[in-house]
Amino acid sequence: MKDNSEISQELLEIIERYINGSMTIQELKDFNQLLELDKEFKTKVKDVETMLKGIEAQTLKEQLDEFHEAIPQTIIKKPIRGKVRFLNFSKIAVAAALVLAIGGIWFFSSPKNEKLYTNYFKPDPGLPTTMGSTNNFAFYDAMVNYKHGDYNIAIDKWKVLQEKKPENDTLNYFLGVAHLANKNINDAIPFLERSIEAEDGFIFLDEAYLYLGLAYLKEGNVELAKKHLDLSETDTAKAIIAKLKP
Amino acid sequence: MGKSINLLSQSELVCAIKSNESDILKHFYTTNYKKVEFLILKNSGSIEHAKDIYQEAFISVWTQIKNDKFIPKNDTALQGYLYQIAKNKWMDVLRSKSFRNSKSLDYETLTFIKDETNNDEDTDLKSNKLKLAMETFKNLGQPCKQLLSIFYFEKKSLKEIASELKIEENTARNKKYRCMEKLRAMVLVHNN
Repeated sequence: MKDNSEISQELLEIIERYINGSMTIQELKDFNQLLELDKEFKTKVKDVETMLKGIEAQTLKEQLDEFHEAIPQTIIKKPIRGKVRFLNFSKIAVAAALVLAIGGIWFFSSPKNEKLYTNYFKPDPGLPTTMGSTNNFAFYDAMVNYKHGDYNIAIDKWKVLQEKKPENDTLNYFLGVAHLANKNINDAIPFLERSIEAEDGFIFLDEAYLYLGLAYLKEGNVELAKKHLDLSETDTAKAIIAKLKP
Repeated sequence: MGKSINLLSQSELVCAIKSNESDILKHFYTTNYKKVEFLILKNSGSIEHAKDIYQEAFISVWTQIKNDKFIPKNDTALQGYLYQIAKNKWMDVLRSKSFRNSKSLDYETLTFIKDETNNDEDTDLKSNKLKLAMETFKNLGQPCKQLLSIFYFEKKSLKEIASELKIEENTARNKKYRCMEKLRAMVLVHNN
């Protein structure tokens, strides 16, 4: 926001009318024209818009506690709560150690997880690679390699793209599943972990949880496996969860 | 608002939320909380965590709707969206190092975690500006705050405000302008 931008009362009211949509068609036309011509004016309008949003958002925020009081309180049984707190520090640690120890023995004596993994792991089929004017040529080029089972080549190509866009959820996801298909669990996990951190709306989220769960299962970390499989809505994940239950 | 919220279609709900209809907002808030609370309590969170995460998610959904970033696709899209956002936020907390390492899950840890995640989330300038505007408005003097809230949030007319505050309409108009200028000046100070 610039210091020198004076906003008169009249201008403020005009901007307000623009924001709440009460301008006439002619006014709106003129206004839009001005927006396009005058950068500084545009910034002013944007700033006012942000301020108004800020006022609204903050007002709402301050009302939420009031809303909250209308919700009937969940009664958490006091003794249980106390117990959990107490347990937090010592007993849970002991219990966890026991579970780990027993779990470890059980795990090493029985290849059940390994079996589950091999039964349920199928490499992600990949995306359809259609010929066409796609600006994602490099991505789909690697996809062709992936589908042919040339995982190393696909990984190398995607890696180059991923270095430019480390946050790209789709890239992280396919790098993860490619490593997994390549039987390289340790390399797969970090990519899959990154892919599930994606913003809302990541289309492979369920699959990402599934493969991450599978990866942990293969690694022998049943707890983490369960946690991620639980989050996946896929049938495979549900089937594995069912098998994991004693 | 004779209609109960359950009968409102998603687009009506979006509309009502956009115009900050208090009853609808409240109803939307109260009816979707329990599910989120259940999720968080089941996943090593406390009631305090649930409330905090839910409120954050609620504000995000509201902002998205305001910015026309959300278009409902089915009958419970908004409700589902709110839940999903809260869930993601909670997952972020669970995954964050500071949460995993902390033995006791007290309020301090949570605020700490929140600051951490906020930094990743809001790298884009726009939401930082919004945060700043919100923060500044929070610290604005009470009379100005009240006036601006009634006008911009409750969308009451200057006339209504004037009669509510027992002042002339023109006085209300001038006051509103002066308050906006004050807020703007405060934002500018923080910005430089």
